[in-house]
Amino acid sequence: MPANLSDDSSVPFERTEEFRLLRMLHNIGATKPEKSLSIEEISEWTGTELSLIENELQELLEKGFIQSMDAEGVNKYHVTLSGMRKVLSMYS
Amino acid sequence: MNIGILTWEFPPRIVGGIARHCNGLARALAHNGHDVHVVTLDFPGAPIYEEINGIKVYRASTELGHPNFLTWAFLFNHFLEKKLAGVSRKVDFDVVHVHDWLTGFAGISFKHQMQKPLVSTIHGTEIGRAQGLHNPDSLTIDGIEWWTTYEANKIIVTSASMKAEIQGHFRLPQEKIEIVPNGIDTKRYNASVDQSAVKGRYGVNPDEKLVLCVGRLVPQKGIEYLIRAVPRIAKRYPNSKFIVVGEGWLRGHLEYIARSTGYQWKITFTGWIPDRELIALLNSADALVVPSIYEPFGIVVLEGMAAGVPVVASDVGGLAEIVEHEHTGILAYSRSPESIAWAVDRVLSDPDHSKEMAQNAQEMVQKTYSWEAIAMKTAKAYKEVVR
Repeated sequence: MPANLSDDSSVPFERTEEFRLLRMLHNIGATKPEKSLSIEEISEWTGTELSLIENELQELLEKGFIQSMDAEGVNKYHVTLSGMRKVLSMYS
Repeated sequence: MNIGILTWEFPPRIVGGIARHCNGLARALAHNGHDVHVVTLDFPGAPIYEEINGIKVYRASTELGHPNFLTWAFLFNHFLEKKLAGVSRKVDFDVVHVHDWLTGFAGISFKHQMQKPLVSTIHGTEIGRAQGLHNPDSLTIDGIEWWTTYEANKIIVTSASMKAEIQGHFRLPQEKIEIVPNGIDTKRYNASVDQSAVKGRYGVNPDEKLVLCVGRLVPQKGIEYLIRAVPRIAKRYPNSKFIVVGEGWLRGHLEYIARSTGYQWKITFTGWIPDRELIALLNSADALVVPSIYEPFGIVVLEGMAAGVPVVASDVGGLAEIVEHEHTGILAYSRSPESIAWAVDRVLSDPDHSKEMAQNAQEMVQKTYSWEAIAMKTAKAYKEVVR
């Protein structure tokens, strides 16, 4: 990153825990409804505590980067098209 | 020829320029009578197999994933390779063409398994994208890029600057590298639109100057330098508005910079928009600014030129090869808001000259960058390695 990008206090979304979680959800393959994961499964895959994940998932839901669905009484989450584009833009 | 194209992005899975490149190239190759098979990754809503514009498209589903990016990339290469192997039971490929390191491993394995020549297009390098190799992942990607260029029988790059970069960085023999620029479907971009209506959708009045910037919101695109130029431009042109099209991880930071200029009300970030909307914007803009700090080619410049919008580009990489200063556009110093502001002023202050440059650029694009011409050059490179 060019030196003059670091002279402010803003935190790029890429540096946030939400983005880290979004990227992991994408890479794991939770990118379609049938591959949605429960919060417990996400916790196992990412090695992150449940309580931390809850907040991050909420942030991602509000930003439209993930979608939740009810699967037999369990909330499951997968990355939306917008979320995929957000992640992929970093890789190209 | 029976041609296999391996790419991690293909419409509707569009990340950067590779999807558009592969689509344009594959269509033109198929149009020229070649049997073209594209193997790519799946995408929500896209069929697993389809034939479109003469191209056979196969989409591999990645059944295994991993939170780590590199591990994920290795895994999807396995599924691409498996899909390609399935296709090869019905098709005797003459050549397999991979695009960037992301499909390198699948292509290399296929080359050795099937004893077929491998062609690799290097659209960009990790060291260029990241402006250095700063972490273990970057070093690994750099290594995969080198390995792919080493294994490829022929390497294609889109500009002379890219040829010089990879020849030096990967120590490649120059005769192994061909320059074949990106192409463009010029008719698609030269559209008739209701400019007032298009501007209106983005809060721009018909009499306001629309300065457009299109690109992924990542550091290499240099968009922050345009944003930092906005106060200078806005002071000279109070009736100007700025639209930044694209998505990316740097968006929050760029929005912060926009706020810090005090002119954030003049700047709109649209995020990702569909192609038809992008074309409408290109045909409604008074200037297109491409302020990249690293750009192996810069296909967006061709898109702007095809649409007939005057182009301002930084004098780096492929951009400096496409744009002839004061003839087909205006070149500005990279990383310089002052220079970008000067260049935008050069376009906005002299509409007659800008119109002439745009016409010159439109003619040049039609002559030099048609997909038909690019496909013929690519097929020539294939023939050199087909046994």
